[in-house]
Amino acid sequence: MKYANRAGPSFLAPALLIIAFVLLFPIFQTIVLSFGRNSTSIFIGYEFAGLANYQRLLNTPRFITSLNNTILFTAVTVPIELLVGIGLALILDRNFRGKGLVRMAALFPWALPTALNALMWRWMFNTEFGLFNSMLSDIGLIAERINWLGAIPSAMHVMMFVSIWKTSSFMALLLLAGLQTIPDDLYEAGSVDGTTRLSEFRFITLPLLKPAILVSVLLRTMDAMRAFELPFNLTDGGPLTSTETLSLYAYRAIFQYVNFNLGSSAILIQFIIIMTISVFYILMIRRGDL
Amino acid sequence: MTLFGGSATAPERDRRTPRSRRRKPVSLGFYIVAAITVVVSFFPTAWIFLTSIKTEADIYAWPVQYLPDPATLENYLNILRETPELLGYILNSFIVATTTTFVILACGGLAAYSLGRLTYRGRNLILILILAVSMFPPLALLPSLFNMFLELGMINTYSGLIIGHAGLYTPIAVWILTNFFKTVPYEIEDAARVDGASSLRIFWSIILPLSAPGLISTGLIVFIFSWNEFPLSLVLMSDNFMRTAPVGISLFPGEYSFPWEIITAATMLTILPILVISGVFQDRLIGGLTAGSGK
Repeated sequence: MKYANRAGPSFLAPALLIIAFVLLFPIFQTIVLSFGRNSTSIFIGYEFAGLANYQRLLNTPRFITSLNNTILFTAVTVPIELLVGIGLALILDRNFRGKGLVRMAALFPWALPTALNALMWRWMFNTEFGLFNSMLSDIGLIAERINWLGAIPSAMHVMMFVSIWKTSSFMALLLLAGLQTIPDDLYEAGSVDGTTRLSEFRFITLPLLKPAILVSVLLRTMDAMRAFELPFNLTDGGPLTSTETLSLYAYRAIFQYVNFNLGSSAILIQFIIIMTISVFYILMIRRGDL
Repeated sequence: MTLFGGSATAPERDRRTPRSRRRKPVSLGFYIVAAITVVVSFFPTAWIFLTSIKTEADIYAWPVQYLPDPATLENYLNILRETPELLGYILNSFIVATTTTFVILACGGLAAYSLGRLTYRGRNLILILILAVSMFPPLALLPSLFNMFLELGMINTYSGLIIGHAGLYTPIAVWILTNFFKTVPYEIEDAARVDGASSLRIFWSIILPLSAPGLISTGLIVFIFSWNEFPLSLVLMSDNFMRTAPVGISLFPGEYSFPWEIITAATMLTILPILVISGVFQDRLIGGLTAGSGK
């Protein structure tokens, strides 16, 4: 049985205190700052400016570009990650010799620091001394070395590729949890009826995996929408602003152009988009659609 | 991957007997795909390692010198001799990530016990609220947190960044631990209650020891998150000597050239703990991740 307890709420105090200090209050202040002008704090010299920052952002081509980049990045990477993730999860669900190594291989990209991983790929895609240019020219596919990260749109393509490499395995681990909840009887019943592998996947695995798919797609979408250290370290948002994401734009507005109010509005717009997508997903999960 | 949603799942689920589908012998094609997965996954790290043990002449060579000839530890020794601040970054990361982990396990553990096993009004609301707050992008914290910490003199301090990381990852830890704590049998707690033990006593002497695997899973996940964290570490540690490893290495190149021989060696040193953890504790990590997310 569970216990009605007076001590219960007080056990929450340390955690709630930290959350209030680091998350709740700063988020509240960021929201207020996004409606302000020339102010970095809500206590000292706060000037209300209404929706001025939001209007300015929507009329700033660079902001719109970063918005488009972020949406394109998310829309391309998440579905591919899902496909790769399903494949990898199906492998991890089987028992075979060397399974430990494959599991470690699935965990490792997830566990790497994104910032340093971006630097690793930056070195491999280096124009002059990079591994990929060398391999491609060895097998005769390219004559001239390619400036992968210095050209549009290849820089964006590389960024997408790196993200897919890094996070497909995370997707796989979430999907694996879903796969393991599927009762084996269903497959046995299927094999009695003489189903093929493909129809087994289509009519048993996929429908029962739906909840796990939706949850992992939701988590990855929220994560991709706020990509920050990947462009920061891989391309620095370039060339021009072709790989600048919303987060990178907001960071620069705040700390390079020292406009806390404009940057806060950019973050809020990003959050509203993430929230809208999340609510949409959650409603679908609730209704059991898709 | 800073967030886990969805509903609770029982972590002990892994321990069921293997199903026939899983025991089916796998084909050669299956092994080939599995092998490709392994190669693709370790390939970048292997290349970075190879670069880090090459001489400078071999690193900046065209056509690319694939294998080090001769292999050398010179780049690592140079970090020791010429840029020891890179080792300082790793030490900073270690101090921050370790302390953060213990702070989160203490605060988050207590909260998870309260939310998972005690009953009072508003419990579920608080759990949902904690999850909702963690959905905000970390960048939303930066402008405010930077100013608050500046006012409080907490910029460039370990305690500042530790509090920052603890705030970021306490919600996830509460979520995962709540699911783990629910699996401790209630009979044991009932017996202790009858003997007159307090809730705090029960938490400390019963729930924590019996949830050791869950604590280790959660601790490792939080450690990795803190070790890898970028935006907060970037903004709250602006002093060159206070930087954490991911930020320090990223900013190390400076304005003009990229010293890849140093970057690759320092990167290898920084990801070594991650490599060891994901190899040794893979069951614990996967258990924790699935306890936090699945349905």
